Amino acid sequence: MTRRAFFVRTAVLAPVVLAAPALLRAQNSSTVNMNGDFYIPVRPAPKPNATAQLDDDAIQALERTLACPCPCTLDVYTCRTTDVLCTNSPAIHRDVVRMVEGGYTGDEIVSQLMDVYGQRILALPRKEGFNLVGWFFPFVAIGTGGLAIAYLLRTWRNNAVAAAALATTSGVRSIGVQATDEEMERLNAALRDDSR
Amino acid sequence: MILVGELSLWVAILMAAWTTTVSWAGGYQRRSDLVFSGERAMYATFAFTTVASIGLWYAIFTHDFSLKFVSSYSSRNLPSVYLFSSFWAGQAGSMLFWTLILAGYGALAVFFNRHRLRAMMPWVTGTMGLVTLFFLLTTAFGANPFERLDWVPADGRGMNPQLQNPGMAIHPPMLYFGYVATAVPFAFAIGALITRQLDGEWLAAVRRWSLLSWFFLTIGIVLGMWWAYVELGWSGYWAWDAVENSSLLPWLSGTAFLHSIMIQEKRGMLKKWNVTLVVLTFLLSILGTFITRSGVIESVHAFARSNVGPWFLWFLIISTILTAVLVSTRLKDMEAKAELESMVSREAAFLYNNLVLVGIAFTTLWGTLFPILSEWVQGEKITVGPPFFNSVNTPLGLLLLALTGIGPLIAWRRASSANLKRQFLAPSIVGVLAVVVLLALGMRHFYALVFYGLAAFVATTITMEFVKGIGARRRMYQENLATAGVRLVVRNRRRYGGYVVHFGVVVMFAAFAGSYFKKDYAEVDLKTGDTFTATDPWGDTWTFTSEGMNSFETLNRRVTAISLVATYNGKPMGRMLAEKRQHFDSNKAETFEPSTEVAIMEMARQDVYVFFSGLRDADTAVLTFNFNPLVIWVWIGGFIMAFGGVIVMWPQAERRERGYVAELSPQHDGALVGAGV
Repeated sequence: MTRRAFFVRTAVLAPVVLAAPALLRAQNSSTVNMNGDFYIPVRPAPKPNATAQLDDDAIQALERTLACPCPCTLDVYTCRTTDVLCTNSPAIHRDVVRMVEGGYTGDEIVSQLMDVYGQRILALPRKEGFNLVGWFFPFVAIGTGGLAIAYLLRTWRNNAVAAAALATTSGVRSIGVQATDEEMERLNAALRDDSR
Repeated sequence: MILVGELSLWVAILMAAWTTTVSWAGGYQRRSDLVFSGERAMYATFAFTTVASIGLWYAIFTHDFSLKFVSSYSSRNLPSVYLFSSFWAGQAGSMLFWTLILAGYGALAVFFNRHRLRAMMPWVTGTMGLVTLFFLLTTAFGANPFERLDWVPADGRGMNPQLQNPGMAIHPPMLYFGYVATAVPFAFAIGALITRQLDGEWLAAVRRWSLLSWFFLTIGIVLGMWWAYVELGWSGYWAWDAVENSSLLPWLSGTAFLHSIMIQEKRGMLKKWNVTLVVLTFLLSILGTFITRSGVIESVHAFARSNVGPWFLWFLIISTILTAVLVSTRLKDMEAKAELESMVSREAAFLYNNLVLVGIAFTTLWGTLFPILSEWVQGEKITVGPPFFNSVNTPLGLLLLALTGIGPLIAWRRASSANLKRQFLAPSIVGVLAVVVLLALGMRHFYALVFYGLAAFVATTITMEFVKGIGARRRMYQENLATAGVRLVVRNRRRYGGYVVHFGVVVMFAAFAGSYFKKDYAEVDLKTGDTFTATDPWGDTWTFTSEGMNSFETLNRRVTAISLVATYNGKPMGRMLAEKRQHFDSNKAETFEPSTEVAIMEMARQDVYVFFSGLRDADTAVLTFNFNPLVIWVWIGGFIMAFGGVIVMWPQAERRERGYVAELSPQHDGALVGAGV
């Protein structure tokens, strides 16, 4: 096996081998039920002399950052205002309103919800810890792809330059083609025109 | 008939196994008798799969509820069209339907190449046979639609109400036609790799099948969006759901391939990359099937879940390993003398286009699978919702839109500065003007401005191409405008069909950008005679007056409907009817949770979207009102893309091409002179 072949095989097979156990485990432990009750009450005691810190628009904005725990993949606001069959998002909305009336700020409400549901209550993973891999790896991968293309294009251009130099020194334009400058220019122009 | 169908499924398994065995043996030993036997067996596999499918349809239409599948997904009072489509409403039937399409494609691939690619075809036939065998085995042992119950219920459960929609009767088959078609280029790639024939005719065959796959996936995805919009009631059409993403992945890699294949055709470069994309597209189809059917990731598409997930996962793993090994042993055969005169050339533009398309595919796949990875690493499940996909894919989408306009106008090999100026000056001015006009009209959203600026730029480049082409024809042949336009497209379907597809992309992106407009939502209680007044995102006034509710029974459901009379700036706009439905079986027993039918008034500028949430009391309906800007253009854009795909695929173009190539062959010097070359 050549070194290149080895690297190609390793690059392709490694992710498959690494991902397989996780996928199999997820497959085996899957307990998703669309009709299930995913709601868990979050009702901390109101603060003393509580006054609401958030208005309706702020509550709406906050609920757009929360994921409905049922498998609808929508945020709490969108789910509760459209999916009448889901009982989870209206219940979470009631908890949010209760916490707002209890004097909790947006960050405190999110924190209370995360204590109960964990990170899955956030529609967008926080940019911290392992989640950073999730956020930035696509950019790293695309950036690496961009660099690879830049390298490829440079190599191809160098090939073209080398071929042109060889043709000039040997007095031959390319294999099997002998033409004057003027003829080559006309041919190139015709090719360009034809390919457009 | 049902027993014949069931037996045919088992015979089809034997036929598929025979197809693979003798085709590969024939290819290896170069024995034409074995090769022919394999090809006949592929036809037989298709024939027996067809009989098995007819058997299942027969069971559905004759209401044979002794079959678990029939009793689970149909009922006596289900309308005929949905009886027909209940074939793919559940896992087992859809697996058989998938296999039917696959066997049909295999038979077609064999038939169309019966006199061509003779060294390669045994391996192609064998690979198609093997993939078909896998699906047949999965159907027979993992999700058998002929599985019987211990007792016979009087009636079936019926079909999920959300699937009782014309879009849903067409959307899954379209997606299946698209998904399954990726198997044919994959089989050709395997054949080309084994026989080391990675040039010439296999490219033409692969391109044709890839186009077919792309075409059906495009229609399937757009129909799926439409179904979600009219049926799920959340007033959106794309939620980056795992199953939606699964359909997008092979579409993206297939689109990348359809662009990069042109570099190999024109310059003989990128052979390794093209083979990789063909293989990747097929594997992404299998991965999508695994995600859809395994329940490994939470999705709204719960009706597609079953226990065949591990079958697909193992098939995916084994296919990936075997293909990677095969590709790595053929790297030397795919070496090409690659030369590029300039970084500013069409070759380079295609590479950038491929980077963006594959980048979007990777990001989408990454976001879809990251919750599993996170749970594995951190022990805690996280949600990767639409905001992640939107924030990462939106800039990439903008880049793709820009390349849609730039790529086709750059010359092959090298673009001179004069060429660039001539091609891009007018489109750039139009793009900037569009942004200025929108700013003057008060639009301030950054992404929306960039989207519309680029859309105007790309639309202008496409228009210029048509204007130049039609002008040239009119000067040369003295044709009128319509004749010149039609002939321009007909004579160069691939190029101008591609432009039509690009125009569809522009229309669709412009519609997507409508989601940046301010969207208002209102939940309102309306008694009979009450009026609700609202202002839409364009500042116009709407009124909706309730004419009251009506309850009635029809076919397989009890319907409660509310009628609204709408006016727009005082002008009558007609009635809107929103419904709440309770489905029942033939004994009037309720079968599913209540469902809803939204009322949608479609206009060029926006959709008025009314959702019947429920009843407050006997005379008071709870309704939600949404104004959704530019949604109709999503469907129009999708239609234009599919129409462009038809133009590109039209077979006459291929025949002309072959004729053109024949004209250019050395034996036809006279024709060359005649053509003015």
